[in-house]
Amino acid sequence: MAELPKRIVKETQRLMSEPAPGISASPHEDNLRYFDVMIQGPVGSPYEGGCFKLELFLPDQYPMEAPKVRFLTRIYHPNVDKLGRICLDVLKDKWSPALQIRTVLLSLQALLSAPNPDDPLAEDVAKAWRENEAAAMATAREWTQKYAQ
Amino acid sequence: MAGSGAATVPRNFRLLDELDRGEKGSADGTVSYGLADPSDISLTNWNGMIVGPPGTPFDGRLYTLAITCGDNYPIAPPLVRFVSKVSLSCVNASTGAVEPRSFRPLGQWSREYTIETVLAELRREMCQPNNRKLPQPAEGSSF
Repeated sequence: MAELPKRIVKETQRLMSEPAPGISASPHEDNLRYFDVMIQGPVGSPYEGGCFKLELFLPDQYPMEAPKVRFLTRIYHPNVDKLGRICLDVLKDKWSPALQIRTVLLSLQALLSAPNPDDPLAEDVAKAWRENEAAAMATAREWTQKYAQ
Repeated sequence: MAGSGAATVPRNFRLLDELDRGEKGSADGTVSYGLADPSDISLTNWNGMIVGPPGTPFDGRLYTLAITCGDNYPIAPPLVRFVSKVSLSCVNASTGAVEPRSFRPLGQWSREYTIETVLAELRREMCQPNNRKLPQPAEGSSF
C-alpha cells in the first residue's frame, strides 16, 4: 500500500487544526485524497448566510497538478456552471505547487465575494450579471436561500 | 485501497472526466453519450447512442440507451437499458435491459471500464454472428 505523501498529510493536519474562517475541509476515511468542503457565503456578498458544500480531490500528480474542486450545492454565479464546475485561474493555468488546498479554498471564498462575469463558465448567468447586476445579485440571494441552507 | 497514497479517483470526478470525453465525442463517432439532464449535479442519468455497424442488420440505425450510474459507480457497473427496440442475445426482449450475466463487460465489471467501454462493446455485440441472424424490429420503435 503506497503511503499518502507527507505534503498531503501535513496540509490535512493543518486544515483540521487551524481551519480558515468560514471554511472547513475534512478527508473521507476511505479516500484521504478526497475532501468534503464547506464554505460559508462571505458577509456582504449575495451568498451571505449560505453554506456551500463542495468536493475536492487531489490527483496522483498533486501538487504538480491542481486539486479538482466542484460545488455540490447549487449556486447562481457566473464562474460556476450547472454541474458545479468552477472557472478559476488557480485551478487551471495559474496553479503552482507553491499553492495549497487552503489557498484554493480561500480563492474560492474570494470568488464568491467577487464574481467575474468577464471570464464566465455559465454564459447565461454572466450575461444576466453584465446586463443588470442588481437583478442578478437578487437571484443569487434567492438561490442561496433556496439551496444553501 | 483505503487510505492508500495512490489516488483513487472518486465517483463524481471520474464521471466528470467521462462527461468531458463524451462531450468531445469518441474518435470514430460510432458511440456517444452525455448527461440526460445537463443540470444533474448527481451525474446519475445518462443517454447513450450507438451507430449500427456497417454490413450488419443494424447498419444505418441509431440506437438510444439509458444508462444509470449509481452511488457505487465505478466500483459497481452502471445499469444499461436500450430505449430503441433491438434484438440482441444480451438484451432483455421485453424491457430492453442489458443483462449482466450475458454481457461480460457488465457481468465481469472492472472499475477501469467506462460508459464508453460499455457502448463500444455493445456495438461489437451487434457484429457477432449469433446477433446478426436475429430478426430486428422495425426502425424507430421503442421498448
